[in-house]
Amino acid sequence: MIRDLVIGMAGSGGDGIVSAGESLVSACASEGYHAMMTKSFGSQIRGGESSCRVRIATCPVLNPGGALDVAVALNWEDFLKFGAELPVNGDTVVLYEEKTGVAPDAIPLVGVSPAEVFAVPFGDMARKAIGNEKGKNSVVLGLIAGWFGIGRESILAGIRKKFARKGEELVQANERAFQLGVEYAQANPLKTSRLMEEPTRSGTKLLTDGNDICAAAAIFAGCEFFGGYPITPSTEIMQFFTREVWKYGGSVLQAEDEIAGIGAAVGASFGGKKAMTATSGPGMSLKSEIIGLASIAELPLVIVNVQRGGPSTGMPTKPEQADLFQAVFSAHGDVVRPVLAPTCVSDTFDVTVEAFNIAEHYQTPVIILSDQEIAQRKEVIDVIDTSAFTLVERQRPTAAEMNPYVRFRMTPSGISPISHPGMKGGNYLGAGIEHNEHGDPTASGRIHQQMNEKRIRKFDRLKRRDDLFSIEGDAEAPFALVSWGSTAGVCREALSLARAKGLRVKLLIPKLLFPVNEGLYRRFFTGVKAGLVVEQSYLGQLYRVLRMTLDVPSGVTSFCRSGANPFAPAEIVRKLQDHALSLQQREADVRQPVE
Amino acid sequence: MSSTRGIDFATLTLKDALDLAVFIEEEACERYGEFADQMEMHDTQDAARFFRYMVENEEKHRSELAERRRELFGDAPTAVSRAMIFDVEAPEYDEARAFMTLREALNAAMRSEEKAHAFFVAALPRIKDASVRELFEELCAEEVEHKRLVQVEIDKAPPDPKIASKEFADEPVGE
Amino acid sequence: MTTAVATQFAPKDFKSELKPIWCPGCGDFGVLQAIYRALAAIGRPPHEIAFISGIGCSSRIPGYTTAYGFNSVHGRALPIAQGLKLARPELLVLAAGGDGDGFSIGGGHVPHAVRRNDDITYIVMDNQTYGLTKGQLSPTSAKGRHTVTSPEGSLENPVNPLLYVLAYGAPFVAQGTPADIPGLSAMIEEAIRFPGFSFVNVQSPCVTYGEEEQQIKAHKAIMKKLDDLGHDPTSRLQALDRAQSYGTELLTGVYFRDPSPPPTLGSLVRERQESLSAKAKPRERILDLFLQK
Repeated sequence: MIRDLVIGMAGSGGDGIVSAGESLVSACASEGYHAMMTKSFGSQIRGGESSCRVRIATCPVLNPGGALDVAVALNWEDFLKFGAELPVNGDTVVLYEEKTGVAPDAIPLVGVSPAEVFAVPFGDMARKAIGNEKGKNSVVLGLIAGWFGIGRESILAGIRKKFARKGEELVQANERAFQLGVEYAQANPLKTSRLMEEPTRSGTKLLTDGNDICAAAAIFAGCEFFGGYPITPSTEIMQFFTREVWKYGGSVLQAEDEIAGIGAAVGASFGGKKAMTATSGPGMSLKSEIIGLASIAELPLVIVNVQRGGPSTGMPTKPEQADLFQAVFSAHGDVVRPVLAPTCVSDTFDVTVEAFNIAEHYQTPVIILSDQEIAQRKEVIDVIDTSAFTLVERQRPTAAEMNPYVRFRMTPSGISPISHPGMKGGNYLGAGIEHNEHGDPTASGRIHQQMNEKRIRKFDRLKRRDDLFSIEGDAEAPFALVSWGSTAGVCREALSLARAKGLRVKLLIPKLLFPVNEGLYRRFFTGVKAGLVVEQSYLGQLYRVLRMTLDVPSGVTSFCRSGANPFAPAEIVRKLQDHALSLQQREADVRQPVE
Repeated sequence: MSSTRGIDFATLTLKDALDLAVFIEEEACERYGEFADQMEMHDTQDAARFFRYMVENEEKHRSELAERRRELFGDAPTAVSRAMIFDVEAPEYDEARAFMTLREALNAAMRSEEKAHAFFVAALPRIKDASVRELFEELCAEEVEHKRLVQVEIDKAPPDPKIASKEFADEPVGE
Repeated sequence: MTTAVATQFAPKDFKSELKPIWCPGCGDFGVLQAIYRALAAIGRPPHEIAFISGIGCSSRIPGYTTAYGFNSVHGRALPIAQGLKLARPELLVLAAGGDGDGFSIGGGHVPHAVRRNDDITYIVMDNQTYGLTKGQLSPTSAKGRHTVTSPEGSLENPVNPLLYVLAYGAPFVAQGTPADIPGLSAMIEEAIRFPGFSFVNVQSPCVTYGEEEQQIKAHKAIMKKLDDLGHDPTSRLQALDRAQSYGTELLTGVYFRDPSPPPTLGSLVRERQESLSAKAKPRERILDLFLQK
């Protein structure tokens, strides 16, 4: 019985590979399995090379996984285009279209001898069932159901849901194809059974992706305005708002450009409403001026950057974690703005709600650094209990604080009660220009110093919040991992693997990336001999920011590389082992100097 | 819709007519090549194969006509240009679709041959030069033959599947 | 007597090796073909042509030509093209992009490119959608249109690109469609030859996200030539009037062609450079400007 299955499928856009993955994930959700689906494709709008990975497990899935347990190649040319995204090893079961004419012992996977290889007549079975060999994707699903025991009824329900609006004929045709796949699996059993264990807790699950859950979290948090512009891979957030926000009395504006989008959101916030914008790297660059405006005007605002390959236009459909510098440093002037990062679809909900709370409480723009992988991967997750969340509103002036109202009044916390147009007696001038407590423009060096101090000191309590970090593993471990964003999920799995090998490791995952909680890092790094800060950027941006703000032990180094080169749990363990070994070696050399 | 610019059929010489005929085939050859590229890019293999085959066909016609021109007129400079003809035998861009079937591709080719045939039929009454008329009558007859050949392929082609391939295709991708 | 309209270049001399990612049936294929034909007729060699675009499906177009191309950032083709043309006035400079690139994010740049009037030709492939990002509402989408960002129907009035550019004062404004490639090609050729900022709006349908009534077949059924309607392209007022039917009618041809085109920015700059050149000190002596006598 297996608990974890990674399926990789590749073909062309015309083969409906991604649709098959979606039906499968939907089936897993109904069965009570945890699952995750990522997809990758070529640049042609239709019919280019297309692939998806589906990972199914009886416990929460932390990342898309490493080597495939099952590889499905509807044609070899397209499969091979995905290279390291679909790794095959000695444990993989490979299925491929028989019509490719390739013999099972001559498949074009260099240096690999998969566990089992099947040349399956997908196209013929599809033609028999549907009259069109393009119906292969349902045959593939039948095979998967037959060999791995994933609920047939659920997959059929998933197929039905997918094709329902296209007509009953199409639904039944796909069901027939599915059935043929099941029969093939029964007639050609695997050498070693790989039936999946029943899920331990059948129960309702949620099926969604990072973008949709982010938008849902925003609406839950009371966001009533979204201003934005289409940009891959964040547009789905805006699209969610265009479907839902009207129902809650809110509104959404697809503005003429990125700057107008955030401008409109700032306007709504100035008006006293919780507001949001979402974009990717290029849009963040455009928005940076207005983010600065929100900082000096002390207006709450949530800005989501769904990171993609950069710089400039970069790689719109690939994830990367190289916008941290931009999030932290792109304001001109002395500015601190909080930067949060989710690590998976589920905590995108928490992080988004928290972002609104921080934005409202500290009266500041807050940047959420999601990334393309989290944003667009479908995950089956446990239901989230929304009653467990507290929502924070901005501090409004009391009647006593209205006579007169002083917008930027110096307070012990640095946070001043904030009024909004419509509130009698609360009139003030908001501005990007430096100002005194009343909001009057100033060029006084003394007042400027005071205001900077106020605007930056107000984050002191945020800096000390330990609840925005998670530390797993052996608290006294000499070896450490630090990771954020989608890479954190890979490191979580690496942590279990490492500990299983007897390594004493601990893992720190910051959800608050900035301002840096120096105390927490200092405590974490105490006694750490060696470690890795693992992230997807060429420059190793979190590592650099940490080095800038605190003393990172010399044994803790950066393990980083450009986006679209995903980390696998096993390689992180190996790297940590090598790193630990070389440090031990160096210590030994020091203790026994060469004569 | 085919069109011409600046051609006076009444005074068309044989050299010019042959050159124009070569351009017509060349244009069709290039267009079928574009279509084959598009189909290959978007994994529409049956149509891609057929369009590649049409590229070869049109190239054969082109080189036959070019050879004849060379025999009669050697390297004499060309007095006409590609700019004078448009979409005479080449299929219109709007004919191409991702996931189109072989039958749909054949129908597109048939419409192109019909267009070419109509072009020569319309031009014939305006031709004054006897040798040009002879050439155009021959080309006209060839188009009839091409139509017949395409029809043979259409009759041989498997019927379109009841459920179209595009129903199974994934959503378009973006960037 | 047949007339030769030939230069040393054939359309395929402007076709690059890169294969378009566009969906088969995309209107942009026809626009590309029209551009090849126009460039062949103009006869400038590919290395003297610069083709600047923004971001979007249609902005991929420079890469499919053998000209120097610059697929820049969303909405900024015009500023980049103007900078290039000022720096290298001898080049043939073209700019292209979609309706979103040009009239949404790039909308602020259009009036300034027009009023500066450098000799640049701007081709917009107008398909009333954001295709590359998968079908969102665009500035030229009709009011009430249902898209992935307007599932309940758009509440906004669309931009009228023809009206705007005419009202900004452009000296040459035309509209074409790939339903008539020779006509479009002739229009683009004329726009390139025209001295000054010339604008060609092309109704280039999106075969993937567009409606049936927006496709080329529909164009053929409803298109009308301005020439056939007795339109006088020397009258800006008439052009403005005609432009108001954008969105309800498809009129093709030249809306406006300034009968006395004002001097181009390039010519004014050249005049100024020439008149001031005598005052130039050698570069090594430029600091003499700050000498205290």
